[in-house]
Amino acid sequence: MRTERADPRELLEAADGLLRLSNPDTAGLWPRASALLALEALETSLERLWDRQSLDFAGCSMRTQLICLRSYLEDAPLASRTSHAWSALSRACHHHAYELAPTAIELQSWFDVVRDLIGGSPSARG
Amino acid sequence: MDPGIRSLVLSRLEGDSSVDAGWSGLVLAALEGQEPLEAELSGGAAAGRVDAARGAPALAGAFLRSIDVEGFRGIGPRQTLELRPGPGLTLVVGRNGSGKSSLAEGLEVLLTGDSLRWRERAAVWREGWRNLHHPKASLRATFLVEGEHGPCVVSRRWEPEAAFEAAAAAAQIGGKPESELASLGWTTALRTHRPFLSYNELGSLLDEGPSKLYDALSSILGLEDLVEALGALQEARRSREKALKDATEARDHLVAHLREVDDERAGRVVAAVEGKDWDLGAVEESLSGGLGSGASSDAADVLRAIASLEPPDPARVAAAATEMRAAGKALLAAREGASARSRDAAALLEGALQFHASHGDGDCPVCGRKDALDKSWSKKQRDAAARLRDAAREADAVHERADAARRLWEGLVPLKPEAFARAAEVGLDLGPLVEALGSWVRAGSIAELPALADHIEKASGPLREAVVRLRDSARAALGRKEDAWRPAAVEVAAWLKAARDAMRGSLDLKRVKAAEAWFKKAASGIRDDRFAPIAEKAAGIWEHLRQQSHVELGRIQLTGEGTRRRVALDVTVDGVEGAALGVMSQGELHSLALSLFVPRATLAESPFRFIVIDDPVQSMDPARVDGLARVLETASADRQVVVFTHDDRLAEAVRRLDIPAEIVEVTRRDASVVELRRALDPVGRYLEDALAVAGTADLPASAAARVVPGLCRLGLEAACMEVVRRRRLGRGEPHAAVERALGEAESLVPLLALVLFDDAAREGDVVPRLEREAGKPLAGALAQVDAGTRDLKASAAVELVRQSSQLAAWIRGLS
Repeated sequence: MRTERADPRELLEAADGLLRLSNPDTAGLWPRASALLALEALETSLERLWDRQSLDFAGCSMRTQLICLRSYLEDAPLASRTSHAWSALSRACHHHAYELAPTAIELQSWFDVVRDLIGGSPSARG
Repeated sequence: MDPGIRSLVLSRLEGDSSVDAGWSGLVLAALEGQEPLEAELSGGAAAGRVDAARGAPALAGAFLRSIDVEGFRGIGPRQTLELRPGPGLTLVVGRNGSGKSSLAEGLEVLLTGDSLRWRERAAVWREGWRNLHHPKASLRATFLVEGEHGPCVVSRRWEPEAAFEAAAAAAQIGGKPESELASLGWTTALRTHRPFLSYNELGSLLDEGPSKLYDALSSILGLEDLVEALGALQEARRSREKALKDATEARDHLVAHLREVDDERAGRVVAAVEGKDWDLGAVEESLSGGLGSGASSDAADVLRAIASLEPPDPARVAAAATEMRAAGKALLAAREGASARSRDAAALLEGALQFHASHGDGDCPVCGRKDALDKSWSKKQRDAAARLRDAAREADAVHERADAARRLWEGLVPLKPEAFARAAEVGLDLGPLVEALGSWVRAGSIAELPALADHIEKASGPLREAVVRLRDSARAALGRKEDAWRPAAVEVAAWLKAARDAMRGSLDLKRVKAAEAWFKKAASGIRDDRFAPIAEKAAGIWEHLRQQSHVELGRIQLTGEGTRRRVALDVTVDGVEGAALGVMSQGELHSLALSLFVPRATLAESPFRFIVIDDPVQSMDPARVDGLARVLETASADRQVVVFTHDDRLAEAVRRLDIPAEIVEVTRRDASVVELRRALDPVGRYLEDALAVAGTADLPASAAARVVPGLCRLGLEAACMEVVRRRRLGRGEPHAAVERALGEAESLVPLLALVLFDDAAREGDVVPRLEREAGKPLAGALAQVDAGTRDLKASAAVELVRQSSQLAAWIRGLS
């Protein structure tokens, strides 16, 4: 069953906002929180992309989806960047001992990937 | 001499209107070295300038095929790391102590005979090179080299117990007889384009200071020749400036000394060199003695004249006195004898004879004796008259002799009136001589010869004494002068030689300076031109590696020279310019070193198509590891990049970033038994991904049809490329030609045709050959993979991946 998810752009904006805002309430919390939002944005935009192709990947693992993405994107490097951003974001969303939270600059570079993915056009072969 | 550098300098010389023919030759000579430069300066055309051929040309375009290590460091029994020749990335992953670094070090030691990571360390490091568990030690590597049919094998073997330095390296190309390692022509390139880079090295590159970094970077630019040439010019200038400076300083000392020497030659030298322009000719004249040299007669000349006075010789005085007495006696005798009478009698007789001749025989007209004058009388008296005449002539001679004897004393004492006149000036007492001479010259007024003889005998003694005394005192004065002058003269002579050289050199100085100034500018221009592409590449790499670093790297420049040479890194931290390396973290420094050295090792001029990096990941932040993976990916587009790493962060980044790479795992068991296992390569990677997708439940069928065959195709293409590269590079084909052939075979079937028939055009023969040799099912899988399918059920998709894997294995098994 699929729940209706928020708009990926809004999610990304929220993540970005967390990054830029220096709010005492969110101090120390922002890297993981914004990573969570960005991850949500990434997965949502991927879902929308599949929807536009009328493909149902609902039950498929993210690994499979990310491999398949290479065949469906005009911009091939974007597929591998998406792969990378996804694994980096999901790593940031889980607690790993001895691993530091991502920095703002790292997060920004992953946001850029999600932003590109939202605007990404599917491959002409589709 | 790098001919490239020479022609760069030449074209700058030709294109520069400010270049003067007076010194442009010096620039070219300086490029040949110090000696040719000096030869050019001394005017002699450097005899046959040699554009020295620097040994054999290097074997170019070398890829690594394998590294064999036995009994070395952490590796016991022989272990071989097989590598895929050709561009691509290989990660060799193993825990610390697994022996992977021994492979990297082994290759370095094999090729260079040393290892940078030990060089600076204590002896224990060096001594531990041998593996304790294995007595035999050997290193071997196989390369595929462009233009060489058959592999090139380099080996180094040690006898048991042999010392580290005792192994000689040998090279063997395509089964030809072994030769020295140097015959490959890699010696220089191993230094300038060092294809190895270890963690330690990365750290030390920046630690050792900016001049070391400069050297390491400039060596690849071929700038050593420029530095040497500039050095030759500088040396030519400095040696001349120094000679001039030394000569001037020595002149000051000399003048100070000479002023203390009481000798007019010293005065003359001082006058000649006191000013700015030295009259070295006059100095030399003063040295060469100076007697009779000057128009003016100096004190020394007066002294020398007096010193050479001859006192009257007693023997000659005695002889003169004897002659005087003899002449006097003869005169006396002549006076007392019939001298006058003889003359008168002769006249009388001659008159009588005349009378007889006129008047004939008859009586004597004087005494009247009868018939006294007749023929017999005439005859007799004629003889008497002749005798009388003779007697008279003798008297004449005696008179002449007396006159001569009277003058004899004058020649006994050679006088030098002009020297005597100045004797007082030079401090000589002429008094005794004047007195002695006064009595001596009284001889002139003595007419009687015996008295004169007595006089000279008496006066010659005191005169002799006076002359000797005067002469000796002149000689002594002269000796004192010479004693004072001689050391000064030696000093002047030594200075004169140096001054001559300095003067000659100073004439060249202007030309040398002009050449140097021009060359300095030209060299830095060439340096900048040559370094620009490296700096650009380095900046690009740094962009990847810096990730979240606040350090921004601007222009990288090689600047300064000599002891002030350095690499200027235009580093900006958080927008603040002029920051030093000190603000960078260890990880950042390593990244910076990598940024600079990957471009160096991958320059087109390098004969090596491989780079080996040992443990670049240490002390890197996770984000930077991703950047590193990207850098390695870029480098591996046209280079064989082999990276040894102790943790799996890099391998993980490579997987995650989807970078085609081969991963080899190294594990070490007891007793140094090291095992290598191929963990993943691009072929396996694609096929694994294909299997992951095919095995996904609920996969949309259209997606499976689109994705799975595509991934299988990529896997098979990678397998084909691997075989083609191995085969063609092994035949010595140029790397670029191989890549071009691969690029032209655009899809799977032409690639297979290239694999099977060495001819991409024979596409039609591929399937029949596959059916025959690999079997119909695999040939069928090829068709599916190549053409794609509309629909692919999950089970069929898995089967397609399985068959593709078999086909890939079959392809890779082809030679």
